[in-house]
Parts: sequence; C-alpha cells; structure tokens
Amino acid sequence: MEFLTILYLTYTFIAFYFLMIYVLTYAQNRKQMYETIEPEKILSLSIVIPCFNEEKSIAKNIEAFLASDYKGLKKLIIVDDCSTDNSYEIIKKYAKKYPRVIALQTPKNTGRASGAKNFGIEYVKTKLIGFSDADSLPNKNAISKMVGFFNDPKVGGVTSRVFVNSPKNYLTKSQAIEYKIIAFTRKLLGFLDSIYVTNGPLSIYRKKAFDQTGGFDENNLTEDIEVTWHLVSKGWKIHMSIPAIVRSYVPTTIKTWFHQRIRWNVGGIQTVAKYRKKFFQCGMLGLFIMPFFMFSWFLGITGLFFLTYRLTKYVMMKFLVAKYSVASQVALVSMNDFNLNPSILFVFGIGLFALGALYTIVAMLHSKEQGRFIGHPFRDIFIYSLFYLLMYPPLLIVSFYKYMRGYNTW
Amino acid sequence: MLKSKKHVFWEAFIITIVIFLAGIFLGMLVETNNSNKISNLYLQSEISFADTVASSGLIENSDFDCNIIKQNNIDFANRIYAEAKLLEEYEASGKLTEGMKLLHKKYDLLRTLVWTSNQKSLERCNNYNLIVYLYEYESEDIAKKATQNVWSKIILDVKTQNDNILLLPIAADQNLISLDLLIGKHNITHFPALIINNNKVLYDIENTATIEDLLN
Repeated sequence: MEFLTILYLTYTFIAFYFLMIYVLTYAQNRKQMYETIEPEKILSLSIVIPCFNEEKSIAKNIEAFLASDYKGLKKLIIVDDCSTDNSYEIIKKYAKKYPRVIALQTPKNTGRASGAKNFGIEYVKTKLIGFSDADSLPNKNAISKMVGFFNDPKVGGVTSRVFVNSPKNYLTKSQAIEYKIIAFTRKLLGFLDSIYVTNGPLSIYRKKAFDQTGGFDENNLTEDIEVTWHLVSKGWKIHMSIPAIVRSYVPTTIKTWFHQRIRWNVGGIQTVAKYRKKFFQCGMLGLFIMPFFMFSWFLGITGLFFLTYRLTKYVMMKFLVAKYSVASQVALVSMNDFNLNPSILFVFGIGLFALGALYTIVAMLHSKEQGRFIGHPFRDIFIYSLFYLLMYPPLLIVSFYKYMRGYNTW
Repeated sequence: MLKSKKHVFWEAFIITIVIFLAGIFLGMLVETNNSNKISNLYLQSEISFADTVASSGLIENSDFDCNIIKQNNIDFANRIYAEAKLLEEYEASGKLTEGMKLLHKKYDLLRTLVWTSNQKSLERCNNYNLIVYLYEYESEDIAKKATQNVWSKIILDVKTQNDNILLLPIAADQNLISLDLLIGKHNITHFPALIINNNKVLYDIENTATIEDLLN
C-alpha cells in the first residue's frame, strides 16, 4: 500500500472516530441537550467585565446584566483598562445610578483582558464569580439558566452559548454558523466531562474553585482556555447551558478575524505547552482534551498538506495536458479521462463528508434562531463549509510559526 | 442530573473499527472482483493470441490471404487495447491490492508477444501499419505523464481515422527481458517513444500529421 493511502486511511480513521464520538454522545443524550437545573438555593454572584475602549457597547452590556432575572446577582464590576475613549465616564454614570454597578479602573493599561479581570477579582466576595466581555449581551434569563448546575458541588464552572449579534456579511455569517456548531459540540463534550473552554462572553465559576487557579494567566493569550484546563486538572467539572444565550459581536473584516484567530490558536498552543506534563494523565484533561486538541491540529495540518499536494499535482497535470493538447490539436477532454470506478478512499471520503454534513445540519437544527429549517440559508452553510473551514489549517500553521517566534500580543 | 457517559469512547472506537474493517474488506472484495474480471479477459485473450500466432505462422504459405491475417491481428490488438483501458480504470481505483499491477505486466508481455509475432506478417503482407507506443508506467514526472497522456490521445485519433493500424501501447519499464531486447534492438534511448512499422522511431510528435505522414 502506498504511503499516501496509509496516511489518508489514518486521517479518515481519526476523523471518523471523533465524529462517531459526537454522533453517539448526541444519540444517547439528545433529550438532555436543553436541560437546565433549578437552583437549590440562590447563590450570590458577581460579574466582572473588563473594558477597553468600548464606549459604543458598554452601556448596552451593563443594561443587559441589570435586566437579568437572577436574584443572586449582587455586583457588576466593570474594570476599565485605562480606555482612551469615553468608556470610563459611561461606567461611572451607571455606577452612580445603580448601587450594584462598581466602576473600577486599573492603575495603568494591562494590555489584555486577563489583566483587567484579575484586577476586578480582588473585589469579589460572592459564592460565584462570572466574567463577560464588554461587547456581549446576555439574554435576561441567561444567568438563571446557568446557576442550577452548581447544585452539584463538583461543578467548578458553567459556560453559556454564544450567538453572533447581527451577522451581515459572509464572514460574520460564517462565524454565526461556526459559533452554533461550536456550542453544539461543546455541549456534547460536556456530557463527556471534556469541555475545554469556558467562553469569554459569559462564564460563571464557583469562587472557591476559581481561587484555586490563582486567577487568569496573564501570559496566556487565551486565558479562558487556560483557566478551564486549570479547573479540570484540579478535578472540577465544567458544564454548558445551551439555553443560556449571550450575543456577541465578532470581527467583520478578514484582517481582524485573522488577528483574533491567530491569538486564539497561539493561546491554545501556549496552553498545551503549559500542561504538556498532564498528557495521558489527570483524568479527562490528559486522556481526552489534550489528545483531542493535538489530533485536531494533526488532522488540520495533514489534511491541508494532503489537499495541497493532490490539488497542486492535479492542477499542474491538467494545465500541462491542456497546453500540450492545444499545441497538438487534440481534444482537451476525452472519455478516457472519466473513471466511473470510485476507489475505496473516495468512498471513505464521501462517507466522512456525509457524516460531517449531517452533524452540521443537526447542530444547526439545535441552534436555529429564526423560523427557517436550519436557521441559515444553504448558501451560507456552503460558503462556511467550503471556504471558511479551509482557512483553519493555514491559520494553524501561521500560529505555530508565530508561537515559535514568541508571539504574545493581544 | 447530567451523567458522564465515557463508555462512548469505546463504543465509538469499536464502531469506527467495524466500519473501517467492513469498508476495507468491501474495497478488497471489489478490487479482487475487478482483478478476476481482467484475469478472465486475459485468459480469453491468451487463447486468441495463440490463434493469431498460429495463423501468422501460416504466412509463409503464399496461398493465404494477407487481408484475413491483417484483420485478425488488428481485431486482436483492438480487443486487448479495450481490455487494457478497463484495466487502467480498475488500476486507478485500486488502492488496497497489488493484483492489478501484475495483470498490467502480463498484458504488456502479451502485447510484446503480439509485436514480435507481427514482424513476419508485416514484412510479408505490408498491408497494414504497426504502431508500438512505448511509455513509462512508473514515472512520477508530471511533465512526462502529461506528455504521455497527450500522446495517447494523438495516437488514438490517428487510429480512429485509419482502419489499418495495429496499435500496441506497451509500458517500457516493466523489466521484461523480451521487451528490453526489442527496445535495445531499436536503439531506443528514452520514453515516450513511438515505433512505426518497425523502422521509424519518434521521440517527438507535433500532431496527428507527424504520424500519418509516416504510415503506409
């Protein structure tokens, strides 16, 4: 058997295995997807929101939290990271009007969200501590739908589902689809105690558990991934509440999107590097989350090389054949060019694609916001599947390169 | 309350293995079936070849009609050409087994035998054209593969327009002693190469006219 055939089969096997884990997890837990738990008692909660130059969104963010129906929300701590716009003035105005709102400002700009969050943590005395981004808008009942999970004393964190706020162009629409699939996948991972990130737009932690982490790692570009791994490594469980919805703004241009994804990927690599000694140890972190991360990278990068190799070879061959055919005055395409006997690799590829497409549709069915069949036109799903997803592997390679060069800019 | 269901890792693993093994088994079954199909065709072609060789042996007797021998040879060559096309298709889709490569070699040997057996017929009758197309089977050079692809199309065009052509495409890099001897006899230095009526060797074809000008 040729090396490429073996590589392709290995690739397909791993991809198929991961997809099968999701399919089975979904099949066995589909009735619990939307499950929320009634809190046994109202636990006090403080929400810390870092803010840097968010004058356009911070007021809406504060108001969204003030409108929350959760009775235990005691404090809304907004930490201004020395904004150069009018953000801090707006925060102070709200602090004056609402006693629950606390306006803070860091002594100097920390340069990243984790710095401002850590500054705000010092002021939290409640049983639960939550974090949000200044441009995120939680639904009125989002917090109520999350806190019930803390009835289980082993639960250290609960995360929400993020929807993209007003997607307009193809990039934001693709992100809207991506976020829904991520949320669906994350919920499934929750059934396996394998949630690997508690998102920035809205996540709540048990204060006792959070204190064990020593706060956010300010050297990590994805402090939300790092803190989740830290909690899981200490034996805490993480859950996700699908009905807890928070809307967030996403990058609208390729440039800002690319920058954000580089940061996320480099942060992911930093986290893997930090916890490398836990590989194949330490419960689900070392046994599944880390191998899952590594295999995802392996699949992405080998898939890219495989695709590039085959595509380049194919295009070059077709170009040369066309060039020589024109020069020799023979037909560019003949019946001999068509092979109606598909190889087993092709059949496996089609099977994988079909399963992947089915998974996407099921994920979309569970996330539809509008009345449409799956919430998005097929055109958008097609663009997402064909073009947007193809951007992942090159991003990963650039991220590895940047990580090796010591990239650590927010 | 939510319960962890980690057994899913094993279940997924077992299901994936079962699906993979079933897929590979099915793939091997299809490839073996294709290989058997070609083997059966080859057996029939071997019989036809023996018949063709026997009829060509009668050429020394001048009473035999050259047209019949010509037609027999061309029909036989056309048949193994069609079989080779099918073999090529099966070969392209065969990823798990090596059987097709061996069959390809057998067909190359058969075509080499047809080439040698036609030497006398061609000399004696001289009423048809013998085109032997030698190409590299294992080449990884994209430019060479593209050239060979276009040559195949040119030669097929020529053959479609002329009834009296016996076309024999043979992979030159199959380590067949008889073929290597013939290649040496014609002083062929590189591939692809075209031998027309056992006396003209072409390493460069511009278009169909290049070949047509050299035909009888």
